[in-house]
Amino acid sequence: MDVTERLPIPPAPPSESALRVRARRAGELTANVLSNPTTLTGLIIILLMISMALLAPWITVPNTPDPTQMPRDWGAIAVPPGSPGHPLGTTNTGGDVLYGVIWGARTSLRLSLIVVSITVTVGVAIGSLAGFLGGRIDEILMRIVDVFLSIPELIFALAIAAVLGPSFRNIILALAVVFWVKYARIMRAQVIHVKQNEYVDAARVIGDAPLRIFGKDILPNSITPVIVQATLDMGNIVLVGATLSFIGLAEAGLAEWGVLVSEGQAGISAGRWWASTFPGMMVFLWALAFNLLGDGLRDVLDPRTETSR
Amino acid sequence: MQIRDYVLRRLLILPVLIVGVSIIVFALTRIGGSPIGIYLSHEMSAEEVAELEARFHLDEPIPVQYVYWAGGVLSGDLGWSGVAAAPVTEVFPDKLAATMELAVASAIVAVTLGIGLGTFAGARRDRFPDHVTRVVSISGAAMPLFWFAILLLIVFWVYLGWFPIGRSDAQIFASIPHPTGLYTVDALIAGNLTAFRDAVWHLVLPALTLGYGATAIIARMMRSSLVEELQEDYVDAARAKGLPERLVLRRHARRNALIPTVTVIGLSFGFLLQGTVVAEIIFRWPGLGRWMADSVLRGDQATIMTYVLFTSVLFLVVNLVVDVIYAYLDRRVVLGT
Repeated sequence: MDVTERLPIPPAPPSESALRVRARRAGELTANVLSNPTTLTGLIIILLMISMALLAPWITVPNTPDPTQMPRDWGAIAVPPGSPGHPLGTTNTGGDVLYGVIWGARTSLRLSLIVVSITVTVGVAIGSLAGFLGGRIDEILMRIVDVFLSIPELIFALAIAAVLGPSFRNIILALAVVFWVKYARIMRAQVIHVKQNEYVDAARVIGDAPLRIFGKDILPNSITPVIVQATLDMGNIVLVGATLSFIGLAEAGLAEWGVLVSEGQAGISAGRWWASTFPGMMVFLWALAFNLLGDGLRDVLDPRTETSR
Repeated sequence: MQIRDYVLRRLLILPVLIVGVSIIVFALTRIGGSPIGIYLSHEMSAEEVAELEARFHLDEPIPVQYVYWAGGVLSGDLGWSGVAAAPVTEVFPDKLAATMELAVASAIVAVTLGIGLGTFAGARRDRFPDHVTRVVSISGAAMPLFWFAILLLIVFWVYLGWFPIGRSDAQIFASIPHPTGLYTVDALIAGNLTAFRDAVWHLVLPALTLGYGATAIIARMMRSSLVEELQEDYVDAARAKGLPERLVLRRHARRNALIPTVTVIGLSFGFLLQGTVVAEIIFRWPGLGRWMADSVLRGDQATIMTYVLFTSVLFLVVNLVVDVIYAYLDRRVVLGT
């Protein structure tokens, strides 16, 4: 439509409360996101994965004493998919692949939620500080960010996890150290951009305290790209985390996808394809789903950046 | 002018970043327990331990220790690799050659396939090839390398038996000299076609694995920038003067579409570097990545730190080169503003 033909935007009815407007906008947004078939596919996969993760103790018989460890069925070693009691087969050491696939979803959900919440908090705090204060603090913080970005993600995480010693907990820590940087960078750019808006000046003129201006005007208007990145990272973190545990940095026998792929590797030369294929596919689907959702969210929330489609 | 300033600025920041990375690497060596841990044993007396600490300057303040450490690195002392049972500097060149051969092979795969696929899809926007390319490129970002590698292994090694794993056939390896450590080049120098074929054959699966992610990134960028270029006026002009569509694409649109693609080729190099760790484990490729993985599992600090330092510096330099090339290619933008 030509710009000149555009109708004037009707003023919002005065009776509509702020809360109502927000609810309506959220509704429109959801409808927008859901109208894209690929985004919807991503969302459905994510919902299935999350329900699998949450329902794990009920849809499988939890291993005792520690359900996050693979149960071993020494009577059914390396049986193919479709065997009684082991629908997806077992590994060379009698680990039930289906159990690993289901509890792996739980492990991955825990991993990604913990790492994303830590990294978003730290990254947003540091980025906002740099962008809001500017000057020398900004310069120093951003040089630190640059240094962190100089080391390739996976290799950095690998080195940290190696130094801390192999355990799943240390994988979480290593990922947290590596993944906050992008948020700091995004948030800083956003804050600098939003800070220049007139409504921020207006708030300053009224006499609002800086912290209030930040919380009320700047933060809500800068957070969108962070949400998009966090969605993408829910997938990336599991991807990198599973790679680390595949290499051998998680405890052996943990019900986790990367560990299971590595365990299944032993049977490959004998033609036992299943023990690596299924858990690896879960990592792929998990990362794919969050990528699809993240892309969809970006299209809707951030119309300025046109994604290549 | 502006390009020169930009390059200068980047060149000045580079050493700062490298020093920053080295500080992080140094900090990592101090977090992971005593750096002389591998030399200690229970039979040692307190004096012997103290003597060792003094010899490695561990009794000095941390900043002084850093200076000693950095001085050592700069003079080529990278420490002792427990995994290789030799000084790091001694083992490094062979491993580097193996990794570089693999990296170059996969870069060739990724650039050719990526640009090819991207062009093919971009010229057929919203038609079937475009959708297929889109699936490939979206799945590329989500594909766990270790899984893709294992799938290739299952299909082409276990079931079809088309490709081998490892780096070369032992007999063929022994039959020719290896002056460069790059087996394909060595075979060509020796003029031995069997050896060349063997080297290439061993490269196929790991190079495909590594190249996949980068192919996806490059194809995606190439496609979208080609779509954009095809809407430009100069394309209409070329068509109006009667140029066949094939030539419009090849001589005009594709050339300009390649400019933004250069940057993602640089980006995908980082992707490629990281991937070598996984690909080398699975395909038993005796390069830096596998050495790193072994070192990670056995706590071989000297190797881990060398590897991190080396890849980061390489990553930084490659990114710098790519950015400079981009600034040079895209002069119209820089000078136009």
